[in-house]
Amino acid sequence: MEPAEAELFRLADDEYVLAERYTEWQIFAPTPESDLALANIAQDEFGHARLWYDLLQEEYDYDEPDLLWEREPHDFVHSTLVELETPEGDWADTVVRGYLYDVAERLRLEALEDSSYEPIAARVPKVRDEEEYHREHAQSWLDRLTESADSLERVQAAVDRLFPHAMTLFAPTAHEDAIVEAGVRTRSLSELREDWLDEVVPYLESLGVEVPEPEDVVRPDPLGRDGTHTEDWFDLHEAFTASYHELGFDEPAELRGDRA
Amino acid sequence: MSSDACSYTEYEDGEVPEGFPQTGEGATGAAAEVWDALREVEDPEMPVSIVDLGLIYDVTVEGDEAAVEMTLTYTGCPAKDMLTNDVKCAALTASGVREASVSIQYSPPWSVEMVTDAGKEQLREFGLSV
Repeated sequence: MEPAEAELFRLADDEYVLAERYTEWQIFAPTPESDLALANIAQDEFGHARLWYDLLQEEYDYDEPDLLWEREPHDFVHSTLVELETPEGDWADTVVRGYLYDVAERLRLEALEDSSYEPIAARVPKVRDEEEYHREHAQSWLDRLTESADSLERVQAAVDRLFPHAMTLFAPTAHEDAIVEAGVRTRSLSELREDWLDEVVPYLESLGVEVPEPEDVVRPDPLGRDGTHTEDWFDLHEAFTASYHELGFDEPAELRGDRA
Repeated sequence: MSSDACSYTEYEDGEVPEGFPQTGEGATGAAAEVWDALREVEDPEMPVSIVDLGLIYDVTVEGDEAAVEMTLTYTGCPAKDMLTNDVKCAALTASGVREASVSIQYSPPWSVEMVTDAGKEQLREFGLSV
């Protein structure tokens, strides 16, 4: 696999799977405003996933079923952070997950601005502009949620649960060395991880949230990036490919005759 | 109520890169015909031509093949397939054009500043403040 191709899969899979989780809040979010905001963020993330998957189709000859509907769940390389099922009704979980992801996403996009692979570099500014609003949304909710004891407790529980999975955002795929050597991404994963920690740790602490010591965090066993995933992912994969399989493209329905 | 309860997003105007928006001014022959046809294509949500919205980045005609480069107002545009098909069909109406291709570009990123004065007027009539 080409280095740019490998980076595109990281980008596209993260955005696609996160969007799938966001859409589960439709009509259930705590206020009409947050429902609309999350619908819009999900649509943005689907848009970004499409923009990266489109590039894989244009440059590397995949088609849509190869990339999504018929791809083996073990071939997806998104971080485990984005695949985890949301505990029922836990808005803090979604806000914390969005925040941890959006900061990492901004840093990654910055490291792709001067990508040696021009088609990626050309798409980064548009995506960055749209991502900025996501982080603002997550932070404004975090500021509010940490103002009362009950909701601060929920934020804390979400940080404790999600932080180890957020670390897998910076886990390598088998192609990591090639990605950096070819200049597809201008910064290494460990540099991105350092910058991410420098930003998210002080911010969360300023809100009264205790952040696990990064060195002591036990990494989840499935890392996502290497194709290993939590059970939550396999359930989600089955759910979002179900309609495709039900439609049965191999044997299209007929209006008349034996197979009607 | 604390001021935090009313936090909102400030929308900033984008900058207009040199050479944009493209409107087909000065185009001749088959390319001019393609531009005329594209002016008839409207945004699916608003009665404004996609040319006045500043979505068309380039039109070239070589032999009997037309190539249109365009952008989308935002990446998640659900009407992408419909729009690109409308654009392709419009380009094929030009005399002498037998093949048409449409490619989506995201650079430079579109912003509301790319809308032409005529487009802004129509958006205001539609009820948007631009």
